[in-house]
Amino acid sequence: MRERVERQPAYVLHERPYRETSAILELLSRDHGRVAVVARGLRAPKPRFARGALRALQPLECGWIGQGEMGQLIAVEVIGLPQAVTAMQLQSVLYLNELLVRLLARNDPHPRVFDAYAGLLGDLPRANAVLGFALRRFEKDLLAELGYGIDFAWDLATQAPVREQGYYRVDPEQGVFAVAGPGRGALPGGALLALAAGVLPAAELLADLRRMMRSLLLHHLGGHGLQAWRVLRSPVPPADPA
Amino acid sequence: MATASPLLDALIEALRVLPGVGAKSAQRMAFHLLERDRPGALKLAHQLALAAEKIGHCRRCRTFSEGELCPLCASPARDAALLCVVESPTDQLAIEQATGYRGRYFVMLGRLSPLDGLGPEELGLDQLARRLGEGEIRELIVATNPTVEGEATAHYLAQLARHAGVRASRLAHGVPLGSELEFIDRGTLAHAFGGRLDLI
Ligand SMILES: [Zn+2]
Repeated sequence: MRERVERQPAYVLHERPYRETSAILELLSRDHGRVAVVARGLRAPKPRFARGALRALQPLECGWIGQGEMGQLIAVEVIGLPQAVTAMQLQSVLYLNELLVRLLARNDPHPRVFDAYAGLLGDLPRANAVLGFALRRFEKDLLAELGYGIDFAWDLATQAPVREQGYYRVDPEQGVFAVAGPGRGALPGGALLALAAGVLPAAELLADLRRMMRSLLLHHLGGHGLQAWRVLRSPVPPADPA
Repeated sequence: MATASPLLDALIEALRVLPGVGAKSAQRMAFHLLERDRPGALKLAHQLALAAEKIGHCRRCRTFSEGELCPLCASPARDAALLCVVESPTDQLAIEQATGYRGRYFVMLGRLSPLDGLGPEELGLDQLARRLGEGEIRELIVATNPTVEGEATAHYLAQLARHAGVRASRLAHGVPLGSELEFIDRGTLAHAFGGRLDLI
């Protein structure tokens, strides 16, 4: 079945070389979800498409002819300037792109994920201090959109709202359960309530949320963690032992 | 789709390790070699075996090399205080041919890329960090490509250099010389605009 898509808002998530001079692009499109398209001659000396524009972070409008798993790119329009980001934020973009490629099935539309992604990229320059929390909110919304949503403000053990002072564990399939007190894997209620409300929590709770979201993502990724967790560590030791 | 010969099937399957070669092209290649060019096939098999056995990586810069050190790392004529980090031997060759660069290289054979499973270990960056720590290098020239992965790698390299007290520089990206603004693709122009430099 051939399908022609025109002027579709999209971002490049990943590019890999294909044949002598072509490339396969993973796109996140607004209305068609994640799609793979062949960009013919993209790596040729005089490419048919705007080579410099076909990169992550650049808002695009793309046209392609779909045919089964892999489409063929036929048009690219540059929409506005690419987000100017710091090196630190670039790493977050690489992380997000891997997360989306791993979690989203191809050709499965999620316009809300597209909007959240575009919004997050747009916020990056301002999100510096709270970048970690912006990522957690994105992950929470992404899981909810994919049908894995969790109500982080509701304790299933007592069937009552999560309390600020309580401690909890999060089951990736079911949700939040109260536990006796602080300990291995236990999360302060304040962290969960902040995530549920989208309100920046105290700095020390951010690490708790990161650890919890990682375990949820790991579960939904089928136990195979993201390469970004391994690859994007800082090269410089935090402090000298002396 | 099996042919009448298990050996032929195995050859077709083996040819599919080549990038961009699917079942159809592999079949065409196998038929061509057997029908029209048996001496060529034997030569190819011989050279492939030799190359796979004898070509390793240079101990210093990781590029392909038959000896422990590649000729460039072994040459006393190259300036050991300058180290240029590139993604691939092709990039290294491009710089060699286009510039009068007289320093040495470090070839990562990739760039930091979670989706490709490439991290610091795969790129030999622990080895690079040790080399920076030896004190001989005064400037690290970062020549990664202007992609998101390339820029993230450049940042990582800059952190390594700073930690070792080595100056880090990078190639300028932007408007190609000899081109006119109105004909440059908008992505490249936007990138160049974002990376503008002070005049004087
Ligand atoms: Zn060498």
